[in-house]
Amino acid sequence: MTEVLKTEKVNLKWNGIDIQAEKGSNLLKAALDNGIEVAHYCYHAGLSIAGVCRMCMVEQDGNPRAFPSCNATCGEGMVIRNDTVKIKAAVESTLQFHLLNHPLDCPVCDQAGECGLQDYYMKHGQYDSQMIDKKVHKAKVQDIGKNVMLDAERCILCSRCTRFTEEVTKTNELGILNRGDHAEITVNEDLKNDYAQNLVDICPVGALTSKDFRFKQRVWFLDEVQTTCIGCETGCSVKVSQNKNGAYRVKPVYDHDVNGHWMCDDGRVIYKHVSSPTRLQNASENINGLFVPVAELGVQAIVRGKKPKYILSTGLTLGEYAGFFNAIKGSRAEVALYTLPNLGPEFDGILRRGDKNANLRGAKTAFDLAGFDSTQAGLDKVLNSISSSDVVYVVIPEILYNEDHFNTLINKVEKAGVRIALTPGETLSSLRAFNYLLPVPSFLEKNGEILNYQGAKRTLRAGLSYGETSKDVSYYGKWVNV
Amino acid sequence: MKDTANNKDYALLSYHHIPGVHKIEIFERAGGYETMKECFKKEPEAIKEEVKASGLRGRGGAGFATGVKWGFFTKDRKAIKYLLCNADESEPGTFKDRFLVERNPHILIEGMIISAWALATQKGYIYIRGEFYQQAVILERAIKEAYAKGYLGKNILGSGFDFDLYVHRGAGAYICGEETGMISSLEGKKGQPKLKPPFPAIKGYRGLPTMVNNVESLAAIPWIMKYGAPAYKQWGTEKSPGTKLFSISGDVNKPGVIEVPLSTSLKDIIEIHCGGMRNGNKLKAVIPGGSSAPIFNAADSYLVKMDYEDVAAKGSMLGSGAIIVLDETRNMGDVLKWTLEFYHHESCGQCTPCREGTGWLESVFKRKEKGQAHISDIDLLDKTASSMRGQTICALADAAAMPTQGMIKVFREELEAYVMTPAKVMTKK
Amino acid sequence: MSTTETFEFNKDNLATYKEYLTRYDDVESALLPVLHLAQEQNGWLPDHVVSYISLLMSIPEIKIKEVISFYDMFYDVPVGRNIVQVCTNISCSMFGGREIYQGLLKHFDTGYLTPTRDGRISLQKMECLGACELAPCMRVNDDFVGNLDLTSAIQKLEELP
Repeated sequence: MTEVLKTEKVNLKWNGIDIQAEKGSNLLKAALDNGIEVAHYCYHAGLSIAGVCRMCMVEQDGNPRAFPSCNATCGEGMVIRNDTVKIKAAVESTLQFHLLNHPLDCPVCDQAGECGLQDYYMKHGQYDSQMIDKKVHKAKVQDIGKNVMLDAERCILCSRCTRFTEEVTKTNELGILNRGDHAEITVNEDLKNDYAQNLVDICPVGALTSKDFRFKQRVWFLDEVQTTCIGCETGCSVKVSQNKNGAYRVKPVYDHDVNGHWMCDDGRVIYKHVSSPTRLQNASENINGLFVPVAELGVQAIVRGKKPKYILSTGLTLGEYAGFFNAIKGSRAEVALYTLPNLGPEFDGILRRGDKNANLRGAKTAFDLAGFDSTQAGLDKVLNSISSSDVVYVVIPEILYNEDHFNTLINKVEKAGVRIALTPGETLSSLRAFNYLLPVPSFLEKNGEILNYQGAKRTLRAGLSYGETSKDVSYYGKWVNV
Repeated sequence: MKDTANNKDYALLSYHHIPGVHKIEIFERAGGYETMKECFKKEPEAIKEEVKASGLRGRGGAGFATGVKWGFFTKDRKAIKYLLCNADESEPGTFKDRFLVERNPHILIEGMIISAWALATQKGYIYIRGEFYQQAVILERAIKEAYAKGYLGKNILGSGFDFDLYVHRGAGAYICGEETGMISSLEGKKGQPKLKPPFPAIKGYRGLPTMVNNVESLAAIPWIMKYGAPAYKQWGTEKSPGTKLFSISGDVNKPGVIEVPLSTSLKDIIEIHCGGMRNGNKLKAVIPGGSSAPIFNAADSYLVKMDYEDVAAKGSMLGSGAIIVLDETRNMGDVLKWTLEFYHHESCGQCTPCREGTGWLESVFKRKEKGQAHISDIDLLDKTASSMRGQTICALADAAAMPTQGMIKVFREELEAYVMTPAKVMTKK
Repeated sequence: MSTTETFEFNKDNLATYKEYLTRYDDVESALLPVLHLAQEQNGWLPDHVVSYISLLMSIPEIKIKEVISFYDMFYDVPVGRNIVQVCTNISCSMFGGREIYQGLLKHFDTGYLTPTRDGRISLQKMECLGACELAPCMRVNDDFVGNLDLTSAIQKLEELP
């Protein structure tokens, strides 16, 4: 999808700094892209221009009137300033207007630490407030569905959220009712779109917060790791906020070629299995339905001499597939691929795809290269051949959208003498069909690449490490020779 | 209205004395629609030139030259574009457009047809404020009459030109008088002004070129086309030519609408046209151009000539020509309070400085009602008003700030006394 | 939004609606006239009227609610049979417009827009109505009534059906 556009570059000066931008492109964006900090609330590169927060005001040589840079386009030789006395004073007073009716409830607000009001107050404000008057009260703590909470008093009416539901999802759940300082974000009905958590991201203040994340962590105790969503074959660029206690949230990272500014709500929960209390962290043995830790050497002893059959998932990295096939090269191991069933329409028109196999293309390529059959027929063949003299290794998909479908696979491996689940996630009850569970790294614990629906390479980055989860399928592939 | 000096009718109210002139037969018997017929024989560009030469300035309040504004409009006669008449008239103190259309709707319709021909707009709308229900009915009736005569619709008078005209009623929002707010409202949305650029002449209603002109501006076109730009320029000054309707209310004996040449002195307007001050009271102050215009004290009021330049030179603006006269019994604190309540109520709410500022101005000025007033509140008002200016999409924030700062400049001591004493609204009949 | 009440345009108004559509180059532009029409028929604009118009015109409900909330003359609360708008802007306040409004509220024992107990009248405080030469003035339904005092205002309103 990489567009090759012939664009004319123009040269501008912003506060005396030379910058380059595409002719006719957004002036504010040009500044931001060139690393110049310009205060703004309503502008969002993924939405239409509202021009209402009046924070990005600039002056241009030869133009007596200040204007918002978000509503201007770049032209050759423009001389722009937002560091003049006039503009600085305007930004300070406009910030003061933003805060006038704001409840200042930062101690109980989840946005604290990443709030546009706090940030700009430190940079452009620091005035003595002369507000002693009664504030306008609006509806607080409203659960508006889809894990989004609305506090209308914290809202600064930048209209990013209403533009999002109008322009991106076209579901129009949100609107701004009334005039003047009684204007208030209102839901007509609970949120119904599949991208609702983006509202939390784009809200520059604490008006829209995530019910899932609320009160769990202060953001300054979290680190971010940039990786790729494994929720479907789109492969959106995301960042995962985490610390030593686990992962807490997933947010999209702008990626022009794949997901733009957004990600779907399904992707927001892809980390849940990783730091779950029931996450498998050590090799375990199934003793009458209870999983108890077992020495890996003991498991090795059990599988010795048995014919290995591997059923891989479609969520492994290119490196893992390559390493695995390298490990089993020349052995008698049989290998098949379990493909997650399609869910919903092929494409929802925004980002979400019905094919939930994050690295289907990578898996197929690796299978082809190694001379194994990656089709359903290949899987059926392996499953039908299973006997009591076999050891079957099943790599559990990280996210099982349809457990029933997967359970039919599990039923078919029951004939095997030894059944081993290689799992990157939780100790699901359905895993009681296995004799042993061995942990493998989740997508948050490994570096590597996957191929998305476009065939584009998408990068996974390790950020966390849990227990004995560092051994991946290629390690267990080597067991063919024990 | 008669130009007594020259024993000649002025432009806009020249039909007003004729009984039943709202009916097309009577209007035509008095010479109505003659000019329109003549105009169809003229080149559209010639009409535009004449209007430009007349120096007619937009009568809605901004005073931008109508001919120049028309010059920004696309000359592509085939392109879809609209003519939008601003009959929202909601600047406090203004009622001239209502007065004009309720007695003589056809003068506006004639002006619109000529303008449409000049500008090649295929459709026109008269956006009239919701409160003017009966006036909308009068206009609709008059439009129907014009259709019946073949002055509207397809192939007007065999010219090959089509023009449809409709009345569109607002529903009670001051901001719809702002031309892009009006366009939003016509589009079936909240009447929130749109970012400029682009300007409506380029991208207006439905994203298409739209010419928005005030009732009074459009109604002046037939006269200008009939008698020519030089005749129009006999009145007024070089920069403010022609006649203007003024709406006068407050403490005068005869409030109402008058048509006088621009640059008529405010003193004459009060003393001659409005029968002088009510009850023989002394003049204290005048709001010369609607509630957004900074107030004049008595001395300035008696000096000022009512044209765009002179009113501006004395620190206010001619605006829509709404003159509110205040006598010695009036408390300027009350006037400012009423003004601030108005802008707070009417801010559309999109731009932060206006949304928050208009409410805060009112709160600060009314602190005395909670026993929280301080004499420094007047400085705070001044500073807050100042920081609202030039910061927003439309001029409403400025319209709230200007009269606030103007009032402080002229009547600071009275305002300080007002905020420091318990409220007592001074009213009398 | 569960509501048991339903609304649809009567035959005449449906015809008027269709005529409205011919005036504009898109459906959305007819929204203000349509809301006026619906309010004329129903008295006010509750959710079920919004739902009907939303379906009729294919405009999202929230967009219609935004519009209703924006304009002073569209009512999202029940109102009396007669709407009385009292001007309280500068010219009218100079001549007692505010006292008339307060006096009417007291006389009819009601509040802003709240219908009188007999459902006859809703009083609405308004900004400049554009009839300042009649100050103090009010609008009674579709007509201006000017040069008021409290007594004449009460008298006028008591005559209302």
